[in-house]
Amino acid sequence: MNHLDLLTFARGSALNWALIIFVAGTVLRFFEIFGLSRKTDLARPRTDSPGSGWRTMLTRSIPPQGMLKREPVTYIAGYVFHLGLFLAIFFFAPHIEFFRSITGLSWFALPSALVDASVVAAIVALAVLLAHRLNNPVKRMLSGFGDYLAWTVTLLPLLTGYMAYHHLMFEYTLMLSLHIFSVELLLVLLPFTKLFHTFSVFVSRWYNGDFFGRKGVAS
Amino acid sequence: MTITNDSEFKAAIAKLTKAGQRQVGARFAESVLALCKDARVKHAIATAMRADITEEELAAALDSAKKASVDSFTLCGKECDWNSQAGHFVAEAALACLKSGTTPAWDAAMHARMARTSESIATGVGTDNAEAAVQYRILAEFMKD
Amino acid sequence: MSATLEKGLNAFKEVIDTPIASYFSSCVHCGLCAEACLFYNETGDPKYTPIHKLEPLRRVWKQEYTLLGKLGKMLGLSKPVTDEELTEWEPLVYDSCSMCGRCSLVCPVGNDITYMIRKMREGMSASGHAPEDMKGATKRAIEIGSPMGIKWPAVQAQIKHVQAETDIEVPVDKQGADYLVLMSSMEIINFPEYLSAISRIFKQAGVSWTLAPDAFEATNSGIQIGASDLAREIVSRIVVAAERLKVKCVISPECGHAFTAIRWEGPNLMGKPFGFEVKHILEVLDELHAAGKLKTRGKDKRPLTYHDPCQIARRGGVVEQPRRLLGEVAEDFREMPDAGVMNWCCGGGGGVSANSRAEPLRLEVFKVKKRQIESTGVHTLITACANCRIVMEEGLEHYHMKVEVLGLTELLAEYLVEGE
Repeated sequence: MNHLDLLTFARGSALNWALIIFVAGTVLRFFEIFGLSRKTDLARPRTDSPGSGWRTMLTRSIPPQGMLKREPVTYIAGYVFHLGLFLAIFFFAPHIEFFRSITGLSWFALPSALVDASVVAAIVALAVLLAHRLNNPVKRMLSGFGDYLAWTVTLLPLLTGYMAYHHLMFEYTLMLSLHIFSVELLLVLLPFTKLFHTFSVFVSRWYNGDFFGRKGVAS
Repeated sequence: MTITNDSEFKAAIAKLTKAGQRQVGARFAESVLALCKDARVKHAIATAMRADITEEELAAALDSAKKASVDSFTLCGKECDWNSQAGHFVAEAALACLKSGTTPAWDAAMHARMARTSESIATGVGTDNAEAAVQYRILAEFMKD
Repeated sequence: MSATLEKGLNAFKEVIDTPIASYFSSCVHCGLCAEACLFYNETGDPKYTPIHKLEPLRRVWKQEYTLLGKLGKMLGLSKPVTDEELTEWEPLVYDSCSMCGRCSLVCPVGNDITYMIRKMREGMSASGHAPEDMKGATKRAIEIGSPMGIKWPAVQAQIKHVQAETDIEVPVDKQGADYLVLMSSMEIINFPEYLSAISRIFKQAGVSWTLAPDAFEATNSGIQIGASDLAREIVSRIVVAAERLKVKCVISPECGHAFTAIRWEGPNLMGKPFGFEVKHILEVLDELHAAGKLKTRGKDKRPLTYHDPCQIARRGGVVEQPRRLLGEVAEDFREMPDAGVMNWCCGGGGGVSANSRAEPLRLEVFKVKKRQIESTGVHTLITACANCRIVMEEGLEHYHMKVEVLGLTELLAEYLVEGE
């Protein structure tokens, strides 16, 4: 198979399959979560509460009092990584083009140089986070195969994307295929690993905010 | 003088000096000392009863009574032994008379009564106790001197 | 599998609901929960990481409620939860967790780890893996009516004592009273001054209230050990009495978990909303104060600080009320660092103080509270939970700190203007 055939496959049936598994997997995981019940809370909630599920969905991204000082690496590297990844996926012109081809929607793109810088920052942040995970006793104890797998499949698209954009290492068409394959790997594994937090975090934060909100506490 | 109720009791106490309140409070505690097995409390009460104590002795007795009091708390969820609890209130009475609060003698009297109440719960004998009358007598005798 | 392990695993399966499934799905192993935890903070031992305390529950979730987990189990690839593992986990779940709730406020993906610990305890106790001391307390609560073995005659003795002291009659079994007052065993045994303070304050404020001989106990060891059927039994006594006496509101005393039990878990345990309100004594006092019915004179000149009991503040929403009340009677009130909903647990809640095995750990982690108090420079500490009070007195004594601990209700009563 030459490089162009490989790319056609990557962009074509491989992508279709990856998207199908991604969507089906995500739907399945949501069924697994919502298929369980949640009993109605019969205790009278406080009426003038500063907290709510919707509020916590957003505000939980802010470090609570005293926490940033205790764990600056996790918070700062976490922000840099997530922001970098978000900008790279959604504000890079070729990606926006891809989304337009699937959904018909498109939006403004950021200058590629900016996206490039944010990808570098994201990769550096990921490296820092890995080092931290290996060195911090709590993280090390909590971590297993799933964590290192998730780290790897998150790094690969960033790394291969960077390399493709800069025409590094391999011939461009091949590099691009590898990049798309790495994205497909991420898509396929996302619903079945801790990466599913991409979606479930909104659910868990909502329940948290709702529980505390009913008691009059903004969580 | 005879004291027959708590208002008279409180009024009489109010006339005492701080040292006087300490000493009479110690006597209230002494009255229920038999309910307490902690030697520290006995010693603290003996110290508090004396007219001639120094600041250091006062501080040491206070410390000792405090330790005895904390050691004898019944912790949440533990089974309550009312006999031990009586001992705890004796320690509290000793502590109260040594502290520099507003009404050491009254506080000591209340804790001493609670010690007696605890004893009556432990023995199952009635919920009335005559400790108040005993305390009126103690106070009246103290004020005579 | 032994009969009890099976009951435990069934209990685990039963308690897992949508929120818990979302929590386990979202956990990214960031370890931030450990940084929020009192027990990890002081000891530095990673095993106290809050989410780690839930590991057996997580595996049950995975193996029962996820497709991949179920496949893994079918193919013999998953690790089952065993009795040995639960034995190992028992001190993590009961000794090193007071259900204080700090981890739940901190988790970036929003996991309510405290809620999960509460639920996990259901399985732990059903499988026989709860501390002996707590089992004893729960047994006494069911058989005698109080976890500490208090019976009504003991309460009557205290009532007599308090009536003599205050010259005010304590109402018992008064039909149609506005408030049913509950007490915790701790108050009945250790702090008769609470009842005395309530009598005086309510008399001055003209509040109609009553005690009930069949429902004087507010503490709920069923909640702490994790036995909902027992917790329900304890709550139902209060509901029956409240309905019988036709009160408008039940007042939960100065006790943290009692408030959680009756205010938030109560209706859910009973399966129906209450026909009466439930308020913490601080809420009632605050309302009286706002209505001008709480008359005090003078202020305490001692510099003092306030410890927020976890179940009342962070998990209960009663944060500003004690501060407004202290504003009335304290001249020099100083907040400790992290005051309010992020305050640090005294270390003794959730059954930890009843558990003698946990005592060394509890005293060790008290250093966090010690540092908070020291930074204020005060020698007087106010709080509104009888258990916090004793746990802190023990801790202060252990570290030779000269700090006095007082209950807020008791402090208010000291400055009450009576007869006006």
